[in-house]
Amino acid sequence: MSHMQKAVINGLDKIMFMEIPKSSVILVSGAEGTLKSGLVFNMMANHVKASKEHALYITLEQSAASHLANMKSLGINKENNLHIFDYRDMRLEWIDSELDLVKLTEEVLDSYVDKYDDLTLFALDSLNALYIISGQETMRNRIYNFFTHIREEIVTSFIIMESAQSRMNGQLIHFPQTENFLADGIIELGMIEGNAGVKRYIQIQKMRAAKHAMEKHQISVEENGINILGPIY
Amino acid sequence: MKNSMESEPNLCESEEDYCQKFIDRIIKANREVFILSSLLERQMCGYDLIKEIFSKCDVFLSQGTVYPILYTLEEEGLLHAEYNKGDMRSKKYSLTTRGREIAEKDVEFFSKALEQISLLIKR
Repeated sequence: MSHMQKAVINGLDKIMFMEIPKSSVILVSGAEGTLKSGLVFNMMANHVKASKEHALYITLEQSAASHLANMKSLGINKENNLHIFDYRDMRLEWIDSELDLVKLTEEVLDSYVDKYDDLTLFALDSLNALYIISGQETMRNRIYNFFTHIREEIVTSFIIMESAQSRMNGQLIHFPQTENFLADGIIELGMIEGNAGVKRYIQIQKMRAAKHAMEKHQISVEENGINILGPIY
Repeated sequence: MKNSMESEPNLCESEEDYCQKFIDRIIKANREVFILSSLLERQMCGYDLIKEIFSKCDVFLSQGTVYPILYTLEEEGLLHAEYNKGDMRSKKYSLTTRGREIAEKDVEFFSKALEQISLLIKR
């Protein structure tokens, strides 16, 4: 299993000074429109293209087709060894009470790991959707076991989360960020409004066992996907 | 639909239950062969497959272990998926020409392997 290179997307080496440690569970949090899905998918696509390893991206919020269309609009192409799993068919064919989505997500990851020995990256988009579909109270009690399970699979995981306060389906929802304590890394994405307009930024708030910058850096979408530019201040 | 059987050793369980425990393990470990075998008969969605294997073998394959196989077999070009006309709720899977060849070969060799194992462990 190869390390995810610190230059897996253009400019990541400006904020990550070492490779991302293997088997880390990394939270990628931010408000809507801050490119959370795009950043993670871009990193995974570039990693599997260079390493020839396999990766699994689970999308709960969108169908695989819709997610791919969004990624294409950002200039990010899907590689054959980057697998996307959505719950669309499962949720249409079964009633929700027959689906334990936390257990299913673990089983789906296990199935792909069984199938591909060299599956090294995993992403869940998003934890909030998992909470909402599963029932937040039940899920919170199980999050520790869920994180333990994905760590045991020896894959590096990206867990996408909406910010602590976010709108979903038009409702303002508060998400207590207890996951922050359990995660090995936290990448925050956000937007800042200044004189020159709105700028998107990335900030690594925490990354266990890896040196990183603390400053917020601007990110932009170019033809080749997401690029990290200089510090925002 | 009931979930998988517990596999705790129990010396008092019936012969039928004891046997079922091995069937359960064999099917779960080789679920791809059983999925391909079921699709040799007719096109099915994930729900149909789980229901069919359960009614034939009394083994519940969880959705989280069946749908990933369907998706990866489709990616590999062994399955073709289509929505039924007028019913977008279930995606039916059928074997492609290459998928059928592989399914037939897998079923044949899996059966041979089981026969060989049976001979090997018989006293």
